[in-house]
Amino acid sequence: MSKPGVDGHWRGGVIVSRGLRDAGMEVVFGGFQNVEQIVESAINEDVDVIGLSMHSGAHIEYTKRVIDLLDDRGVKDSFMILCGGVIPAQDFPKLEEMGVAKVFGPGTVIQDIVDFIRENVKE
Amino acid sequence: MFEKDFLDKLRAESEKWDKSVENAKERNVKFETDSGIPIKKVYTPLDVKSNYFDKVGYPGVPPYTRGVYPTMYRGRVWTMRLFSGHGTPEETNKRWKYLYENGETGFSAAVDALTFNGIDPTNTDGDAEVGTAGVPLYCIDSMFALTEGLPIDKVSVALVVEPFSSAPVCAMYYNMAKMRGLDIKSLMGTTQNDILTMTVGYIPYRNVAPNHLLRLACDLIEWTVPMKNVPRWHPINFTGYNYREGGIDAVQELGFVFASACSHIDNLIERGWKVDDFVNRLAFHLAAHKDFFEEIAKYRAARRIWAKLMKDRYEAQDPKSMEFRFHIQTAGSSLTAQTPLVNVIRTSIQALEATLGGCQSLHTNSYDEAICLPTEEASLIALRTQQVISDESRITNTVDPLAGSYYVEWLTDEVEDRVWKYIDKIEKVGNIAKALDTGFLYKEMRDAFQKRQNRIERGEEIMLGVNKYPVPYDEITQVFRTNELAVEIEKNRIIKLKERRDNAKLETLLDKLRGVCEREENVMPVMMEVTKEGATIGEVCNIYREIWKVWEPPIAI
Repeated sequence: MSKPGVDGHWRGGVIVSRGLRDAGMEVVFGGFQNVEQIVESAINEDVDVIGLSMHSGAHIEYTKRVIDLLDDRGVKDSFMILCGGVIPAQDFPKLEEMGVAKVFGPGTVIQDIVDFIRENVKE
Repeated sequence: MFEKDFLDKLRAESEKWDKSVENAKERNVKFETDSGIPIKKVYTPLDVKSNYFDKVGYPGVPPYTRGVYPTMYRGRVWTMRLFSGHGTPEETNKRWKYLYENGETGFSAAVDALTFNGIDPTNTDGDAEVGTAGVPLYCIDSMFALTEGLPIDKVSVALVVEPFSSAPVCAMYYNMAKMRGLDIKSLMGTTQNDILTMTVGYIPYRNVAPNHLLRLACDLIEWTVPMKNVPRWHPINFTGYNYREGGIDAVQELGFVFASACSHIDNLIERGWKVDDFVNRLAFHLAAHKDFFEEIAKYRAARRIWAKLMKDRYEAQDPKSMEFRFHIQTAGSSLTAQTPLVNVIRTSIQALEATLGGCQSLHTNSYDEAICLPTEEASLIALRTQQVISDESRITNTVDPLAGSYYVEWLTDEVEDRVWKYIDKIEKVGNIAKALDTGFLYKEMRDAFQKRQNRIERGEEIMLGVNKYPVPYDEITQVFRTNELAVEIEKNRIIKLKERRDNAKLETLLDKLRGVCEREENVMPVMMEVTKEGATIGEVCNIYREIWKVWEPPIAI
């Protein structure tokens, strides 16, 4: 779970991380990470899912940079990418076209994220 | 508060009544306030325990429970101050003019995340956020653009920056005002300068440790007020709002702000000042959240607690030192992205809490703020919400109209008692820097937002459109987008500035700043010099990082 950029809204990322951990998943909470750090830690920690928590309005740009770098490293298909935070519904299709598996907007119930990961991550 | 005979008779009557309704059927919900105070069916004079003269009294007289001014809104209604900023300083200036022409009476700069965290737009860690969540204010030129054509000699301006970047941003603003020919001795405004906002309200991006932030906050207080450089300025606004939004309750909100305020006062006393030299310019910024009566009780209790703290703990002599003056923001976290028009109603109710509670200044949220920064249309409705209350509702006819309500007086006492206990709990950990460093406040925050999330998911805290009568999250009509070119515009602004300025002279001044930081002296005098010569926010804050090192907040999930 990472916060790309420099915006400090931290509640969402922490709440979701705790929820996933309580559901039995292993969570690496990265806090603020730049694009290189996100990709590096995803590879080093061998995670299944990269969660990007964004409340800055810059979600399209940061997500694009993360995906581009994963692509450059040739590991784009090794990870499922989820986005969450204050993201207008109009932007969901755009993010999904870029390769995001799903976007969780305001009002999300954490169990829905747990269920989505369980159903879509291969054992 | 009442005669003994009357109370004896009432006690007997109340026992009878209680018995008669013992089996009356009630809905299966917890009757309690948002902060968990249990609430009875009905309140009577028996519940009002405190002495009227000591605890309630008159507006304009300590303990100020009923308001800090004798006439309150009969004299002057609250300042209507919409927190606003986006894209570039020029675009923000346009929005400010629009709101001013529509009756706004104060300005408030919402800055972007780079300004908060002291970084320049050339930094690729944050360049995608230039102007996305507020106005970029990176150098003195930005201040000229922000205030162009606005009467800042008559209308007060709030600069919402925190201790890590408050000194350079304020210095840029004061220099701009001087260069526009204004006397900064009469300049009116506020700097938020709140240590907790960018530590526990939001997490800081490469800021310095809390003991340095506390000292930076106090540098600004000292230089503006007791040193009389900008004596009419409010150099700090203890912002309970931001952490309340993170999930803590009304009692904790006041506990956080009072514990923080005391740490700042102690620091200034250590510097040799007396409370009466500066304390009247300290201001507060609280939330108007969802529990109508508890919020009103909170404002009344806050005024009483502050007066007592100043009188008893700090032995203030001047009654003005005991005045608790505050700005209110309606609760952003109460808004929903689902059926956003309902947010107009939520905000109206919260604005009524703020004004019935005697705020000095008010921001009302726009209905689209759960989704994006507000459109012009949405911000106008937010402003009109305040004007309906001030100009149409007649609630301004008398001062503190809810005083004497058995429930409100009882709840004011109850909130006050709980806040004193919570202040003790924080102060047992140490001063506010220590409460941050040890992780205590982070844990309080995390536990609180976890609790709130659980309550929302279990449906104990109702959010219409989300957990009751849910609707899908796709009903938004118009989403405000900030200027995508902002990053290039701001980079160019700095390139032009660097071409114009005397870089050799600036280097010497930046070295002077290094020395001041190493010796931990007040940064403001040299900050006035470096920003006048064209130092950017990143150049200044990188010196802080270099001398004091970057601090990692103790967050554990």
